[in-house]
Amino acid sequence: MRVAYYKGCLASLSAKELDISTQALAPKLGLELVELESVTCCGAGDIQQAEPDYYLHLNARILAYAEAQGCDTLLTICNVCTLNLRQANFQIQKDEALRERVSANLSAVGAPPYSGGVDVQHFLWLIAQGDGYEKLKEVAHHGLKGLKIAPFYGCQILRPSKLLGVDDPDRPHTLEAVIAACGGEAVDYPAKVKCCGFPIIQAREEMALAELIQPIEQAMEAGADAMVTPCPLCHLSLDAWQQKLEKQTGRSFDMPILHLSQLVGVAAGLSDSELKFKRHVVSMKPVLEKLDV
Amino acid sequence: MQVGLKVWRFDTKTAERALKEYEVDAPEEATLLDVLDLVKDKVDGSLAYRRSCRMMICGSCGMRMDGAAVLACKTRMYDVAQAGHVPVISAMGNLPVVKDLVVDMQPFWDKIRAVKPWVEPGYEAPAPGDKENVVSAEQMATIHKESLCILCGCCVSECNSMEANPDFLGPAALAKGMRFVGDARDGQTVERLEELSEPNGVWDCTRCYFCQERCPKGVDPRDAIAKLGAEAIREGIDRDMGAKHAKWFVKSAKTTGWLRETELVPKTQGVVRTLKDVKFGMKLAKHGKVPPPFPPHVAKDVDESRSLHDIVKKQDQRGAQGIVQGERALGRIEPHHDTYAAAAERGPYGPGSFPKPYLPGEEGEETT
Ligand code: SF4
Ligand code: SF4
Ligand code: SF4
Ligand code: SF4
Ligand code: FES
Repeated sequence: MRVAYYKGCLASLSAKELDISTQALAPKLGLELVELESVTCCGAGDIQQAEPDYYLHLNARILAYAEAQGCDTLLTICNVCTLNLRQANFQIQKDEALRERVSANLSAVGAPPYSGGVDVQHFLWLIAQGDGYEKLKEVAHHGLKGLKIAPFYGCQILRPSKLLGVDDPDRPHTLEAVIAACGGEAVDYPAKVKCCGFPIIQAREEMALAELIQPIEQAMEAGADAMVTPCPLCHLSLDAWQQKLEKQTGRSFDMPILHLSQLVGVAAGLSDSELKFKRHVVSMKPVLEKLDV
Repeated sequence: MQVGLKVWRFDTKTAERALKEYEVDAPEEATLLDVLDLVKDKVDGSLAYRRSCRMMICGSCGMRMDGAAVLACKTRMYDVAQAGHVPVISAMGNLPVVKDLVVDMQPFWDKIRAVKPWVEPGYEAPAPGDKENVVSAEQMATIHKESLCILCGCCVSECNSMEANPDFLGPAALAKGMRFVGDARDGQTVERLEELSEPNGVWDCTRCYFCQERCPKGVDPRDAIAKLGAEAIREGIDRDMGAKHAKWFVKSAKTTGWLRETELVPKTQGVVRTLKDVKFGMKLAKHGKVPPPFPPHVAKDVDESRSLHDIVKKQDQRGAQGIVQGERALGRIEPHHDTYAAAAERGPYGPGSFPKPYLPGEEGEETT
């Protein structure tokens, strides 16, 4: 399957390990990734809140470049990108007047026009259902040796459900399905669908930490060896800000956090240089020891 | 049909709580509210809950079903009963419980009042004999969704920011704020935006989108909050770190195309506060979590996104209009939920099954 690949800012910058492991994994899963060179940031909800019409155009431009490559699927690896792009896409697809104005503006600046022919799909959705899931089961034969994994969805891959539409917003199951296919054991805990606090981690640190502690603490209580998330922003707060929580509470959590592509990557036997665990703040060592890799 | 419910009963005087199971025979078209009425009528008269209109308009009957806030009178029970599921019913979250399913709405009303939910006239009255002032359909469209609110509190119930900060104005009050900020007749727009941009306002929202998911009337409070942010920034009200953060994304997009991550922190928090966090920053840098600022990572053809910014500015769909223009399109999409039968197939408490009654403090002993 040939898909346009939108990695977003974080995976190009501080979460490079997500991009590297995704690219290494894709061919094994039968995905041909078409890189989009000219695209920009999706705006992360921030541009939508500062200059919404500009947000719409930036996202339309990303979709237009995917369409120009002849792809009908745009693959995302970030919750926030997924919501931003899907929301803009629906607006353009379902409103002809809006589509015409945006498309004309794109042409005016030398970008390809956009006719609305692209579907935005998160990596998780492609591997957790249908043919993708069958492929995943074949590829993930190295297994996770029953490792206990806490799935953390984050917000913007579940809500608003009308714009995302794969998991039930209150009873999601795709991450659990992937964990099972990889030979791990999913642990259950209430905060798996709640917010990690990332969007306000700079402007309202105290509030954000009050949110962040819930999933980490509950995953620990549920006996998880590690957590997995489909979003690099969740990853950044769960992994990098964990030390702030430790400082604030005087407790130690040492909860390793995996990107979804790394979890599958381990089970698919990717090498160290493709997984890049060294780039995490919280050490992955205890997990790797258990797995004996 | 036979419908079972497990209801968290709460006695304020003794602070005792108990999960009680009930089963009644109800007509197939029964709503959750109808079932509660049957329980109260036939099984246990002491069960307390609020209701009035029974037709989704008074906003009294907000409560949680399996941890999710719903209007009891809007929630049909046929699929639930068919799947053999016995849902857990409890009081809404983020508000003090008075008894059983009844919450104290006072903190909710206080926040609504704080946003001055009335028009402060800002127009010239027509001279005697002149025609009346007309508000155009387009002007009304700006606040159409916000005007649909029935003050039920469902959006507040699972608001993650309010859990972290009980003083946060919250989705209902902020949506109400937008209702008046966007009102063509109001003369206090800038003053309102100033107030709503204070701490506990617009920039406290963590974008968890629970409000948007829960609202039974399609108000989409998170979008209303985004409209307020866009209006505030349009008016140059950007003192808050949240506003500065948002503006930096715009700057990044039109200069390098990609987020200039390294500069984001000082641009948001200011240099002094950033320096205090140097140790934290160094630890991140060690793991490559802080990309070097030079040379900035520049997207190919980034001049296109710069020119787009100029064009968009000229076309003047500014502030809230940029969100309003997409509302009709998004209004055509239905929310997505698995059927109860599909969830039942995945097993009673397995992955993706019905949530346990596991909201804070709700894991207590089961009694019947
Ligand atoms: S959400 Fe982020 S990481 Fe994803 S592209 Fe947009 S700004 Fe970037
Ligand atoms: S959980 Fe965190 S980063 Fe992830 S979608 Fe919510 S706010 Fe985002
Ligand atoms: S999106 Fe904002 S207002 Fe809405 S529930 Fe989440 S934190 Fe609260
Ligand atoms: S915004 Fe929606 S959920 Fe919130 S109080 Fe109004 S009607 Fe109820
Ligand atoms: S009883 Fe009035 S809204 Fe449900």
